[in-house]
Amino acid sequence: MAARKTERLMNLIFLLLATRQFLTKSQIRQSIEAYREAPSVQAFDRMFERDKEELRELGIDVELGSHDPLFGDEQGYRILRSNAELEDIDLTRDEAAVVGLATQVWQHAGLASESSTALVKLKSLGIEVDTEALRMAEPRLSTAEPAFDAVWDATVRRVPITFAYARPGREASVRRFQPWGILSWRDRWYVGGFDLDREAPRLFRVSRIQGEVETDGKPGSYEVPEGTDMRRVAQSLFPTPREEPAVLRIAAGRAQSLRRRGQVTVPGSEHDVVEVRIDSLGELAAEVASYGPDVVVQSPEDLRARVVTMLRAAAGEV
Amino acid sequence: MARSQNQVLRMLAMVPYLQSSNGLNVRDVARELGVTPKQLTDDLKLLMMTGAGEGGGDLIDVDLTALEEEGVIHLRDADFMTRPLRISGQEGAALVVALRTLRASASGDQIAIIDSALAKIEAALGSDAGAPVDVVLDEVDAGISGTVAQAVAQGRRLALTYANETRDEQSERQVDPVRVFTERGRMYLEAWCLRAEDIRFFRLDRVISAELTDEHVAEHDADPVDLSEGVFTVGPDTPFALIKIDGAVDWLAEYYPVEVVEEHADGTSTAKLFGSDWGWLCRLVLRNAGLISVLEPAELKAQVTDSARAALAAYDG
Repeated sequence: MAARKTERLMNLIFLLLATRQFLTKSQIRQSIEAYREAPSVQAFDRMFERDKEELRELGIDVELGSHDPLFGDEQGYRILRSNAELEDIDLTRDEAAVVGLATQVWQHAGLASESSTALVKLKSLGIEVDTEALRMAEPRLSTAEPAFDAVWDATVRRVPITFAYARPGREASVRRFQPWGILSWRDRWYVGGFDLDREAPRLFRVSRIQGEVETDGKPGSYEVPEGTDMRRVAQSLFPTPREEPAVLRIAAGRAQSLRRRGQVTVPGSEHDVVEVRIDSLGELAAEVASYGPDVVVQSPEDLRARVVTMLRAAAGEV
Repeated sequence: MARSQNQVLRMLAMVPYLQSSNGLNVRDVARELGVTPKQLTDDLKLLMMTGAGEGGGDLIDVDLTALEEEGVIHLRDADFMTRPLRISGQEGAALVVALRTLRASASGDQIAIIDSALAKIEAALGSDAGAPVDVVLDEVDAGISGTVAQAVAQGRRLALTYANETRDEQSERQVDPVRVFTERGRMYLEAWCLRAEDIRFFRLDRVISAELTDEHVAEHDADPVDLSEGVFTVGPDTPFALIKIDGAVDWLAEYYPVEVVEEHADGTSTAKLFGSDWGWLCRLVLRNAGLISVLEPAELKAQVTDSARAALAAYDG
């Protein structure tokens, strides 16, 4: 079934690409076996409309027109070569190597395949790709989130979606959403866009989407506001750091993660006094508590109180 | 995207490519397209059912003898498509995100190369440039990542000061770098450690200082490390602690290697928390104090309680 559909779509694309004339529906039906075999004109019409929609989703524009509308020519279809074909791209050897290395980034079969076909298109323009030309870091992108594929698809095609979303420990709620863009933030996928019920921009973590993502409209049915910058949207994820740093007493040579971020203000033989910026009180309290007696909070008071509460829980004194 | 759409995109890319380079090897092309040789062969046979028309010479022809006996591809009668179609929105988005990922882990001159490649690809995509996408990796000191990149590129030995978070200590080591890669959003250096006499992975954000030495990297008899399952893998011998989790489990599983053993009626769960070092496990439990507690082993349970009491004493005093 899938092979037959692929064959039919390929034949339709080739037919419309090879023709200079606009081809009428009946000419198209006569030229392709699968269409001739359709049991009725209506069945063919439905099949043809669906196929045209698929072509559009594949990014192939089918042009509708006629050569001599004054004489009432029937309208026909073609793919205009100059619109459809990839123009020459002038890539240097290093740039071509970079694009080649990029195709090794995805650890996701579908997206690895899509970036690979893009590279093959460049190669057929005569661009030589030698990935050995550069030695670079080898980053990988993986996607374990069940909802990733549906979210990615909807975002790239601009399709409104509906899904159930739950923050940890809270009830799930249904969101109606126009996805604008995607962000991979330290290996976590986020989707940003417009929440239709709250009438405001929102950022959702893809792993917290529960169950199926339902499409709720046609592709391209809204515009992404110009200048949308996912990195800026993401900055809003994080609270602004406090002006006053935390003052910590850290045992000599201990608490590497805090020392790396902090500044020693009073060095000592048994312990140092270290100042650390407070990005998030809760996160810092957890980090301080994790080191047990090796780190003691001197100030601020709210950090100290949080750490003491956590330690009491761990000591079984609740 | 539906599998059939992927196949159409792939076959469309194939037609001009196989004409521009005649006689390519099936295995090479399959690898380039990210499919198995069997899938590629199926694609080629399907292509033979297609063309600009149905008459003789209108259908695409693939030399099946050469394909099946020599594994070599000769494709003919596709003159109607000698240039590739434009890079589609989907292909473009996949490629642009990948390039942005490369950019996030690159340093020095490489960033400028990636930026100009990105600009050219995005210009070719035009209005199909599609959704805004961005990739942010862990923050690493630019000086350190630059030095490490230089060492990898030039094959030079590095002197590292490294903070080992598992044992919470600093160490000095000489390493021969192999490569830099990312895993779960973090950047790692894979290198031969002269002290351990084996391959080790160093998280770049935990490198306190990195200096190039005058030594070139030596040959080492190292087995390749399979990282397809990630840097930290849980096997049958991986030590674990049995813990009690209050409330939802999903948040914990997002961050740590956890396996739920039983979910209880009161909303709590019992789970295995994997880790290779008791000190590290103790810190992990303290970090999540109030949300998780240790059930077994008794030694770890005591270690957590003792550590918390010792810390509380410092506040009382």
